[in-house]
Amino acid sequence: MSEEIQGTGAPEGVDPSFWRGLTQPRVSRRDVLRIAGLGAGTSIMMAGGGAAFASSLPNAKVGTKTWWAKQKLHHKLNFANWPLYIDVVGSKHPSLDHFTQTTGVKVNYIEAIQDDASFYSKIRPSLAAGQSTGYDLIVMTNNNPELGYLMDLGWLVPLDHSKMANFDKYAGPLVKSPSWDPGNKYSMAWQSGWTAVGYNSQVVKNPGDSIGILFSKKYKGQVGMLADPFELGCAGLLAIGVEPAKSTESDWAKAAKKLKQQKSDGIVVAYYDQSYIAHLKNGDVNVCQAYSGDIFQANLTSKFKKLKLLLPHEGAMLWTDNMAIPLYAQNPRDAMTLMDFFYSPQTQAVVEYYDDYVCPVPAAKQQLLHPTGWAVQALKKLAPEIGLPTSVTANSPLVFPDAAATKVTRPYYNFKNQAEINAWNGLFLPIVQGA
Amino acid sequence: MTEPRSRGGWGKRLAPYLLSLPAGLWLLLLFIVPLGAMLVMSLETCSPATGACVMTWHWGELPSVVSLYRAQFLTSFYFAAAATLADLVISFPIAYWIAFHGGRRKNFFLLMLLVPFFVSFIIRTIVWEFVLSNNGVVLHTLKNFHLLPHGFHVLGTGFAVVAGLAYNYLPFTALPLYVALERIDYRILEAAYDLYATRRAGFLRVILPLTVPGIFAAFLLTFIPAFGDYVNQEILGGTANTMVGTVVQNQFLVNLDYAGGASLSAVLLAISLVGIFLYARLLGSRTIEQYL
Repeated sequence: MSEEIQGTGAPEGVDPSFWRGLTQPRVSRRDVLRIAGLGAGTSIMMAGGGAAFASSLPNAKVGTKTWWAKQKLHHKLNFANWPLYIDVVGSKHPSLDHFTQTTGVKVNYIEAIQDDASFYSKIRPSLAAGQSTGYDLIVMTNNNPELGYLMDLGWLVPLDHSKMANFDKYAGPLVKSPSWDPGNKYSMAWQSGWTAVGYNSQVVKNPGDSIGILFSKKYKGQVGMLADPFELGCAGLLAIGVEPAKSTESDWAKAAKKLKQQKSDGIVVAYYDQSYIAHLKNGDVNVCQAYSGDIFQANLTSKFKKLKLLLPHEGAMLWTDNMAIPLYAQNPRDAMTLMDFFYSPQTQAVVEYYDDYVCPVPAAKQQLLHPTGWAVQALKKLAPEIGLPTSVTANSPLVFPDAAATKVTRPYYNFKNQAEINAWNGLFLPIVQGA
Repeated sequence: MTEPRSRGGWGKRLAPYLLSLPAGLWLLLLFIVPLGAMLVMSLETCSPATGACVMTWHWGELPSVVSLYRAQFLTSFYFAAAATLADLVISFPIAYWIAFHGGRRKNFFLLMLLVPFFVSFIIRTIVWEFVLSNNGVVLHTLKNFHLLPHGFHVLGTGFAVVAGLAYNYLPFTALPLYVALERIDYRILEAAYDLYATRRAGFLRVILPLTVPGIFAAFLLTFIPAFGDYVNQEILGGTANTMVGTVVQNQFLVNLDYAGGASLSAVLLAISLVGIFLYARLLGSRTIEQYL
């Protein structure tokens, strides 16, 4: 069963061509930049020294075979990740502890990333000045422009493809050579997740299966939306029946109109950042745009079992958080070692048992059901924290997507240049911060 | 023999400059330079990707942000004004009571006024968010007793934002008022009563005129920071009451548009400066510093 998932790439019952369409590159943003040269790239490359060609990027001589050959383990690693994104027992992270025991690399794990834009604005000055950011490993999402900026500006270290044994063997189709990073040149996925609809099942009795629930007057004054302009815009696009990845600027304008209407009708209470989950728990909103793993994690507390996730038939956006090594990192070999280490099914099983986002390693399902090696003890240690058997995680379609979940999965729009990003923000940001 | 004396003369002449040097440098490095950088940036064009800015003398940005975010400027103005007014009304009796009836415990009462503010600004505001949430202590209880309709909510309304602002800036109003009231010589009031002034007349014709500069200092110290505040709106506010501070914050941290954020800040600063200028004109030589 799991072999089949690994083999064909697509889960059972899913048309492989559809799966490819989701995950394979259409037009890479960088190709467009390269072709259009300064024309399209001016705004992004402005003051970047006219660096429209790979050879003049600051990472031109970094990440080559000879460069990697010179990089040795320093037995330390500064890892910046998002909050609540790795297994925790007490104040320890079993998966990281196992990594340290195995490799001798001591990990300084910092929950430094609250959102892509503000984290990017913190590391940007160092990178622009040609200095280390202080982090050897960062995790950036593909649904915001910042990961693209880092790649376009040559601010990431190209990965050592000779040291990706686990990744090559175990990475699932959703994260292998994804559209935002063809050939995994710079990144490996940490976790993926859906942006869908969370609701309070005590109040919402017949949620249906449509994203229209977010726009329904029935829930006037009870709906929350995400303040992230990219998430907000995609909800609007799905609601007007447009695939975000294939959308045009005129679609964006229509989606913005739909969202403005939703706001002026008094349906939306507020536009939230990550705090939406607290508001959903508190009952400040009963229906809200939500990230899949958050709802699953909320359900671990009996009080919040009432929260449910709805994957609308119009589509649920699938984003991926990607591990990458920022340029000028002090310990790139250690970072590279960790990235591949976390692609072993055992390690993923332990992380996933806690995280419950979409697992990048399909074979972790078998480990959750029948653990082997060190995972046996680690999962046992985690069990009282989680309070559910590992089989719940293993059989969750939200962790190992089934055919139904895959069918509604939609990718994000790949911005071709800064002008498009500005146009998008110009339409959707005013809705969030309108008076 | 004359040499040491002349050196002493030099020292004396230089002393005030040398003494003001640390403060002057502090002001220059941490206030004037960043302020200048912000004003310069407001005329530049910045790349969101690299953060690099190029001077483009983009004067048009200033009127364009005003017209684009007029509503948010107005919201900020109304909210800050409402919060300041609420603070004046609330803190005047408090300051009056401490100044005239506090006795030997004045300092204790002042400390009590300040104790909540030993906790970080953001944490206090977030705690209010929990207290006022729909299923929080207050609303949930009142709704259970059917004292409030089920759909009633406080969070996400303009009222919540104004209340949050008023709460957070209360000491900035109360302290200048206290200082002004404390300075009033009680014998003046006694003289007024001796001349058959009623308590009302004593208050209106003696105390109030003498506290006017304090009221204005309190007004500016409360209104200006409240005008640019975004924390209260972000945490307690909803969709229909974005303040301009939130927009500035979004421009910097969501849109990564530093030039746009700087332009908005420059406009905000200009508006605040006009306020101070009017203050100086209206109240003559009496300055804010007197009341700090």
